[in-house]
Amino acid sequence: MVITEDLIDFLKSVPPFQFLDEQLLNDIARSVSMEFYPKGTTVLHQDGPPSDALRIIKKGAVKVFFAPEKGEEVLIDYRSEGESFGLLSLVGGDKSRATVVAVEDTICYLIGRGGVLKLVDAHPSFTEFFFKSFLNKYIDKTYQEMHNKSLLFGGGDKPLFTTPVGEIGTKGVLSASQEISIREGAEVMSQNRMSSLVLVDKEGVPTGIVTDRDLRDKVVSKGRPVTDAISSIMSVSLIKTEARDYCFEALLKMIRYNIHHLLVVDEGKLKGIVTNHDLMMMQGTSPISLVRDIESQHTVEGLAPAAKKTNEIIGLLLKEGARASNITRIITEINDRLLKKILELAEKEFGKPPVRYCWIIFGSEGRKEQTFRTDQDNAIIYEDPLTDSDDARSRTYFTVFSAFVRDSLLKLGVPRCPANYMASNPEWCQPVKQWKKYFSTWVYTPTPDAVMKSLIFFDFRPLYGDLSLAESLRDSLHALLEGQMIFLGYMANMIIKNTPPVGFFKSFIVEKSGEHKNELNMKVKGIAPIVDMARLFALEKGVRETSTIERLSTLKEKHTIVKEFADELEHAFEFMMLLRIQHQFEQMESGKEPNNFINPNSLSNLEKKMMKQSFNLITRLQDIIIERYKPLIW
Amino acid sequence: MLSFITGRSKSDEKESRLQETQYVVIDTELTGLNGRRDSIVSIGAVRMKGGRIDIGESFYKMMNPETSLTAESVVIHEIMPSDVVMKPNIDAVLGDFLDYCGTDVLVGFCVSVDMEFLNRETKRLFGAPLGNQVIDIYPLFEWLLKKGIFSGEKAALLSSRYQLYDIARCFDIEVNGAHNAIIDAFITAQIFQRFIPLLSKAGMKSAADLVKLTKNFKGGDHNRISSNISNF
Repeated sequence: MVITEDLIDFLKSVPPFQFLDEQLLNDIARSVSMEFYPKGTTVLHQDGPPSDALRIIKKGAVKVFFAPEKGEEVLIDYRSEGESFGLLSLVGGDKSRATVVAVEDTICYLIGRGGVLKLVDAHPSFTEFFFKSFLNKYIDKTYQEMHNKSLLFGGGDKPLFTTPVGEIGTKGVLSASQEISIREGAEVMSQNRMSSLVLVDKEGVPTGIVTDRDLRDKVVSKGRPVTDAISSIMSVSLIKTEARDYCFEALLKMIRYNIHHLLVVDEGKLKGIVTNHDLMMMQGTSPISLVRDIESQHTVEGLAPAAKKTNEIIGLLLKEGARASNITRIITEINDRLLKKILELAEKEFGKPPVRYCWIIFGSEGRKEQTFRTDQDNAIIYEDPLTDSDDARSRTYFTVFSAFVRDSLLKLGVPRCPANYMASNPEWCQPVKQWKKYFSTWVYTPTPDAVMKSLIFFDFRPLYGDLSLAESLRDSLHALLEGQMIFLGYMANMIIKNTPPVGFFKSFIVEKSGEHKNELNMKVKGIAPIVDMARLFALEKGVRETSTIERLSTLKEKHTIVKEFADELEHAFEFMMLLRIQHQFEQMESGKEPNNFINPNSLSNLEKKMMKQSFNLITRLQDIIIERYKPLIW
Repeated sequence: MLSFITGRSKSDEKESRLQETQYVVIDTELTGLNGRRDSIVSIGAVRMKGGRIDIGESFYKMMNPETSLTAESVVIHEIMPSDVVMKPNIDAVLGDFLDYCGTDVLVGFCVSVDMEFLNRETKRLFGAPLGNQVIDIYPLFEWLLKKGIFSGEKAALLSSRYQLYDIARCFDIEVNGAHNAIIDAFITAQIFQRFIPLLSKAGMKSAADLVKLTKNFKGGDHNRISSNISNF
């Protein structure tokens, strides 16, 4: 029929439908309908009725997210033209797993349940495509909690799509002959401390299952004699999976029947049981096991493999659709551990330091916003010496100490700071009073160099040693800044000069020539403006947090501008960071040196749109800052 | 079949909500506009349940008209005499069409023209006009326009003459290819699909409200001249 022609043309351009033959596409087309959702429409409600169709976006875009009763919503994904949603609850038939809202006027094609199940059953490539793309983003999220826990146990990197269930579904399963009595069954269960018992026939073929609940509901509460055959209370609807099936098929069955356990059978015989927890645990490389690995090392050399693994973890987190802030948080955690370990080793090597000291880090490390490549940005604050000879002794000690740390970091692949902002530089290994002097000089005499240094050093964060030294330095910094509108004005000037790269006709302004022709520097143009604004506002209000996201969330209560724009700023920041991390990850995967340059043409329409929105937001805030600092803007 | 053509009581009035009503969106192509001389060349129809367009099961039939195709009409809908000479005449097609419509609410653009021709044929063949309730997209559009539902730029796009494709374009609905009863019915359905959320936001609760709006519509004739181009 004429009006399905467009539909078929469309499907031919969309994976996985493009892999299906024409005949089948025509078949499917017969059961397709079309809906329109004005911007803002909630298409599926989390925990609401299951989706009645697989929806493929013809035009527009949707946002998929969890909205927990408490806490912030968890964004799973944005989907746009050619992408689809609603599959899991359609197949599962129980309830919607997430909320889906149209973020623009959206038109979807709908394939009903019957059509989808037919495809799922008949076409492995179809199934695999969907479950691969959905699982990575979706199920892992659903079970994030569980997943995070499972990371504790580490486990090898066994992909869901290449591992047969038999390899993991070997968890002790308790079985007994179906001929025994209820009492005997209950005894076996309590002796083995198991809550379920699988009954098998003479050939060892499973015929049913009895759980604690059956004993409670069918025996105790009904007063049934415990001498009855156990088969009279067993539930016979056993869902089985073949040991040779791939794990994703097992997961599919669980979703479909809304169950958490599957019996694994091999040639008809019971082999074990697999739970969805087991499947989640397969997801490999674990930040937590990595951290344990770091803790157990005694040499710098021993830390090297762990340091290398960080990139793998980022890859894994990206695949799971983690937020940028969560990714950087985990990277920060790992890098902090590595550095703390090195400092421990240094103290062991050179003995305890002669005075109290604090190792501080700043720049992106200080803000907990590290991605793949970070330089060494660190310094030492030590207790004010009473005498010159005390000071000399401290200097001698910290010279070798900081050199050791610097060289250890080099061994782990963390390059020197090109500007030499490192503790091994005597300028940045100073007693408290000298640090205070630095800060007051920068604030009172804001030369370009001083402002530059302030941007970097004012994001300092204590890492190791006597943290109170850094805290008191932070106190004096905030006291110093109070009412220092001139200094803050300098910062404001610097912020407003970095205008977003959007042209008059709303096209992106890219590099006109050179190595990065037609590309855009995400770090300078996208991320830095938000970081700088959050810093300015934090310094205005004496907020102690150093990470951009934490600054914004604390400022929500304290700062009128942030109050109004916090959510948008946070969103824009997460988006830009994620783009950058993804970009760098892809570069590293293909063996390139990661950089910050992105070609806007390589972005999807939705990404372009979000990027423009982010830039618009930055422009708006810059205008507000100009207004606020009017007398100080030149 | 006859039962739903003839005996429909007032109590049958569709009171169900806009989103739950079953609609059939129709369009016909004609040899011309003279209600006595001209006749139907093709019928296209698409079912909707609320805002969901069932694009898999549409209805499209061409037929051999009793009156000859005029050069004028051929230019518009590109149906050539040779295309229809082998087609059945309307007597063989109408029954299928009525089955397809069932008791659903019929929806069309300036639908009075379509209804006039369809009713002429059902009266001739079955002794009664169609009993289905009818909604016309055109008065809905004018009503929404009057209510100020469209943003300024969209309304400005539309001068005083509103044709099917003009309205479609201002809702970003793809319009391409020749006039054809099924394509036009599909375009009409998509416009209706866009209207439903707007109408319910503006206080229209049920299909009956829309039927009433259609019946009270006075500008039919003036509009018929400007818009009937889509019918032939």
